[in-house]
Amino acid sequence: MKYLASKVKGNSLWSDALRRLLSDNLAVFSFLVIAAYIVTALLASSNLIAVNWQDSIGASQAAPSFVDGFSHWMGLDIFGRSVLQKTVQGAYTALYVGLVSSLISIPIGVLMGALAGYFGGWVDDLITWIYTTISNIPEILLLVSIAFALGKGIETMCIALGMTSWVGLARLIRAEFIKHKNREYVAAAQALGASHSRRIFKHIFPNVLHIVIIGFSLRFVVAIKSEVVLTYLGLGIEIGEGSSWGLMISDAAGELVQGIWWGLASATLAMFPIVLAFSLFTDALRDAFDPKLRT
Amino acid sequence: MADNEILLSIKDLCVDFSTKEGVVHALKNVSFDIPKGKTIGLVGESGSGKSVTSLATMGLIPNPPGQVTNGQILYKGKDLLKYSESEMRKIRGNDISMIFQEPMTSLNPVFTVGFQIAEVLRLHQGMSQKEARERTLDLLNQVGIPTPHQKIDAYPHELSGGQKQRIMIAMAIGCEPDLLICDEPTTALDVTIQKQVLDLMLDLQTQYDMSMLFITHDLGVIADIADEVVVMYRGDIVEKNTTEEIFLRPQHPYTKGLLACRPALDKHPKRLVTVSDYMDVDGKEKTPPKVEFVNPTRPISETENPVILDIKGLKKYFPIRGGIFGTVKDHFKAVDGVDFQVRKGRTFGLVGESGCGKTTLGRTILRLIEPTEGQIIWKGKDIVGLGADEMRALRRDMQIIFQDPYASLNPRMTIGAAIIEPMEIHNIGANKQERLEKAATLLERCGLPGNVLNRYPHEFSGGQRQRVCIARALAVDPEFIICDESVSALDVSIQAQILNLLMDLQDELDLTYIFISHDLAVVKFISDEVMVMNEGKIVEMADAETIYLNPKMDYTKRLLSAIPKGIPKTLLDKGITTSDLGQ
Repeated sequence: MKYLASKVKGNSLWSDALRRLLSDNLAVFSFLVIAAYIVTALLASSNLIAVNWQDSIGASQAAPSFVDGFSHWMGLDIFGRSVLQKTVQGAYTALYVGLVSSLISIPIGVLMGALAGYFGGWVDDLITWIYTTISNIPEILLLVSIAFALGKGIETMCIALGMTSWVGLARLIRAEFIKHKNREYVAAAQALGASHSRRIFKHIFPNVLHIVIIGFSLRFVVAIKSEVVLTYLGLGIEIGEGSSWGLMISDAAGELVQGIWWGLASATLAMFPIVLAFSLFTDALRDAFDPKLRT
Repeated sequence: MADNEILLSIKDLCVDFSTKEGVVHALKNVSFDIPKGKTIGLVGESGSGKSVTSLATMGLIPNPPGQVTNGQILYKGKDLLKYSESEMRKIRGNDISMIFQEPMTSLNPVFTVGFQIAEVLRLHQGMSQKEARERTLDLLNQVGIPTPHQKIDAYPHELSGGQKQRIMIAMAIGCEPDLLICDEPTTALDVTIQKQVLDLMLDLQTQYDMSMLFITHDLGVIADIADEVVVMYRGDIVEKNTTEEIFLRPQHPYTKGLLACRPALDKHPKRLVTVSDYMDVDGKEKTPPKVEFVNPTRPISETENPVILDIKGLKKYFPIRGGIFGTVKDHFKAVDGVDFQVRKGRTFGLVGESGCGKTTLGRTILRLIEPTEGQIIWKGKDIVGLGADEMRALRRDMQIIFQDPYASLNPRMTIGAAIIEPMEIHNIGANKQERLEKAATLLERCGLPGNVLNRYPHEFSGGQRQRVCIARALAVDPEFIICDESVSALDVSIQAQILNLLMDLQDELDLTYIFISHDLAVVKFISDEVMVMNEGKIVEMADAETIYLNPKMDYTKRLLSAIPKGIPKTLLDKGITTSDLGQ
């Protein structure tokens, strides 16, 4: 007990990275923006704000006005629904798609990359063949075929995005595993009797985890943008599944010629800060976790 | 020109680095002179400020975090610290050149070496392409590159480590600098190559009448090359004198410790003296313990020292692939039919230059690499072909300590987690608590406080990390440990401590070692039997004393003669030996 009582606390590379991240003002600000979107999305999904977004509250396509209450700030859509409330609800859809599709793609990417990089040989050949094949099919084409096969809708879109977007991460993880598997600390673990799975998950994985975190952040942005694009193309969110920025932009396509700009403006203005914040935050993560700064 | 003309004079130089933990005074009022045409040796351990001194002279202190807070660096009477960046650029590489430690990374891999040398000449001397190429050929000749007409168009990866360092030297002397700063230029090289490079530098210095500032952690290296020695310790100059005086009559306890801690070939102390025997942590002088000399050959009894490892005809070939379909064209024979026996409780030394196959042999014995052919008989049982589970169980008995303590610890694991991991794998200890207790005891046994289990590897120095690696290897109570260049990456003073630790542990735990190193002096000190390897084959094998006294093969003789004598030649000529130094 004498030793444990006087334990000296160490500085892990993670706590170092966190400290670097917290001292980066832009990163903290970006994180606050992301947090604000998450809070908004959660409140919207639990019907605490933007509750009556499906109700008609005024004239069809009424222009934005600041005198009729905040629901009218961004005007009304063709059915007289509040555009602002629809935008707030859209945040939930966007984050949902981002989160679920990332949760599908990240494990696939990590596992495929880790196995290919660690074992090499025919395992590597096979996995590399699979992801090269997938990445050679134009993404939209693949998404369209998955959407047709599984039926349209938000879940399908998440699966489709998840299934197609793991390739980049798998490549990165594979390269890192190839680099790390020849490091002496892995040889030391082998010499101590550590099994393959222990070497992969306990030893190498924590050393490449920063790539996963950065990859997650990056996927999120791509997924949010893809949701909008796919929905615009009619392959994503179905009408009736909730509000989505993609749907709003899709609607705006016809409305813009009539001078009705607020649907489009509202969706893009909502999308811009979260995409920017995620991109900046990813950059900051990359800087903070860069293992080259420390040995 | 007068003989005693001062070329560079450093006066009261102070350099601070600001870190998260506060300001670190890297240099505290450092003053010394470099006379024209002389060589000054700057000696000290890692972190003593010797590299900072050279960087300050070149105007290369990174700012922030570093800053020169006081002092002058007078070059030909003018203060370099007052020069602008563009003025310094004209000085660098032209008047003052520098050679770095790592020749592997100092050359740009995408350009030919000829191009890289010529670039410096064209930049500083304004030579035409043709003139520069001719001068480059001339330089390659001077630094002893064979067939310079071919090598001028070679890329760095086509040259050996020694040749690359020669290229760096050619580049540095190309503009005939007045001052050449050499920052540990031979530390990364084998002894034989080190000797060649040192001889070359000595020749060039006389030829060009250059001044040199030679930085090293090893006093033995500069015995023949330096005219004067400046000893640095923790940012201070603790002693400066002529080389002979430093070796004959060292004043400061740190210098005495440095001189004494290098294992010598002609004497066999029981333990190596370390710097801490000469001074305590505050730098106060202590009386060192009397050195106890022992009979270098330990007796062998068949009952107590049976053969526990018997290697028979071991081969490891790596395929060389070529052609469009990657067919195997040939084999690289890293280990080519090696036979030897290791006895319990004894140390088997394995020595050879880089690339001779000694590391591959070590790893093949533990089956970290699968052998191509041959038998590895551990306690009467051939372990080649054992299944994964049986092999894993065997790893309890056979351990390895690697060369680079920075690379062999997982940076994401606390050292406590690293030490208890093998206990978890092999079910040693009843619970985590018990394992942590054992880990703490092991750490203390290896000379570290037991309460640092929660710290991470990057919070320790190189020597401390190597102690952690030793503690980790001991966690499974092994009988047999392969030490693969385990002290090569450490400063001589730290090296002595680790060697002592390994010897103590052997006595205490009846351990058996295979000690792999390129340094014959270290191998001779720690080993009972020594095997010299070259190109995958055994050159010579005998007990340590015999190999040193009566080497039979030319290769062994060459290795032996290349070892720095650790004493200036002028003193050797007067009949003074290393045993007389510092006493």
